Amino acid sequence: MKLGRIALLLAGATALEFFFGGSKYRGVWPVDWLLVATAIVARSGGFGRAVLTGTAAGFIEDALMESLLGLNAFAKAGIGYVLAFVSVRVIFGGALAVGGVIALCSLVNDVIVAFLRSLLLAAPVVLGAPEALWRAVATGATAGVLEAAWSFPWREWRERRRQGRLR
Amino acid sequence: MHNVKFPAARAEITSRPRRGGMLLASVLVLCVLALSAQAPARGRRGSVLQSWILTAAGPVAGAFGAISRSVSGASASFADNFTARSDNERLRRELQRRDEELFRLRAEVRQIRGELGLHASAPFLPAVVGSAPVLLLERRAGLQSALIGIGSSSGVSAGSPLAVPEGLIGRVVTAGRTLSRVQLLLDASAAAGARIVRTGDLGIVRGDGRGALLLNHIPTTSRVRPGDLVESAGIDGIYPRGIPIGRVDSVSRGGTLFLDVRVVPAAPFSRLTDVLVLAPFPAPEPEGASAAR
Repeated sequence: MKLGRIALLLAGATALEFFFGGSKYRGVWPVDWLLVATAIVARSGGFGRAVLTGTAAGFIEDALMESLLGLNAFAKAGIGYVLAFVSVRVIFGGALAVGGVIALCSLVNDVIVAFLRSLLLAAPVVLGAPEALWRAVATGATAGVLEAAWSFPWREWRERRRQGRLR
Repeated sequence: MHNVKFPAARAEITSRPRRGGMLLASVLVLCVLALSAQAPARGRRGSVLQSWILTAAGPVAGAFGAISRSVSGASASFADNFTARSDNERLRRELQRRDEELFRLRAEVRQIRGELGLHASAPFLPAVVGSAPVLLLERRAGLQSALIGIGSSSGVSAGSPLAVPEGLIGRVVTAGRTLSRVQLLLDASAAAGARIVRTGDLGIVRGDGRGALLLNHIPTTSRVRPGDLVESAGIDGIYPRGIPIGRVDSVSRGGTLFLDVRVVPAAPFSRLTDVLVLAPFPAPEPEGASAAR
């Protein structure tokens, strides 16, 4: 994936974070858009770009919401690498598998950030909160839907519909 | 996810993990260095770098927040059209009831003001700096923070308490020019001095990072019971006294000398749209005051 597209993707993810974050319905479907952006880049199989995208996405999140810069960057860089590794080495596909992996990544992100916050800020470790689980579900489901939409044979489907109308 | 069909391409891609691994290691080391550099300087006020970043992100966040509000406002007004008539009737009745209540409350306030001398406690009453929209709300691994659309250009500074009419919300930790980052009271690292209104017991309210509050240091001899109102005590040097925090949900005997008291927050944290920023407490001294002393 080209750098320009990655930058656009990150800008789009940040815009979506603000768009949904500013709404009072933010808790209904709390998607981690920056993780989805990292996963999209990792899906193309580029290790370096996946790591750098994860780092950039994490830094954006840290700059806006965290007390220390680098917590989410650390987590998302690792997640980017693992996702790129999975994309290249493990042959799997389908919305369900992709959604499941991304949901798991969202939880792993939480665990890493909680561990680092406890280590560096002496903050209590809070894991398994309902909100975190719900965000993992929402992020995984959204990534699954995007994967399904991406791999759907739209051209053949349009062609079949056109032929059906002609008959 | 990525099914590579050509051997040459596959060989090219699979030769990259080593380079990617090196890059990952470098990035992780850089992150650790950055975190280590910030950790000793952490405190209430946040870093200068974060303040600059918030200032730079202000226009973008404001624009997207405004778009989001317009869209949700438009959808809400569309939905409201369907229920407008019945709502109108209900609101008329409610307005009449409120008018009567307002009249009664005004009379009571006048009486109480006269009896207790409210003016004596005026210095403790919070002054509102302004109101601000909530642009982002983050809940991750015990962290409960928000981004609000007001900053140092409107007189907000780190440490300013935040509230809504229902109760206390938290405090500003980093103030940019037009954006500020807020630590919510529900954050696992947040705490506030609190008082049980009925019994007068003082304690410390802490966020549990999961959406509830814990009231600590209440002795087992206390007569606290579920439903008691908990308000800020003004003993922590951050929050002014007398702002509702929540109501006692459950009381149980802990393993120590103190009770385990769970408190349900008074403020609707999950549906926050706008917040009131209060003047820092205690109010900062005038410029000349410390020099004169």
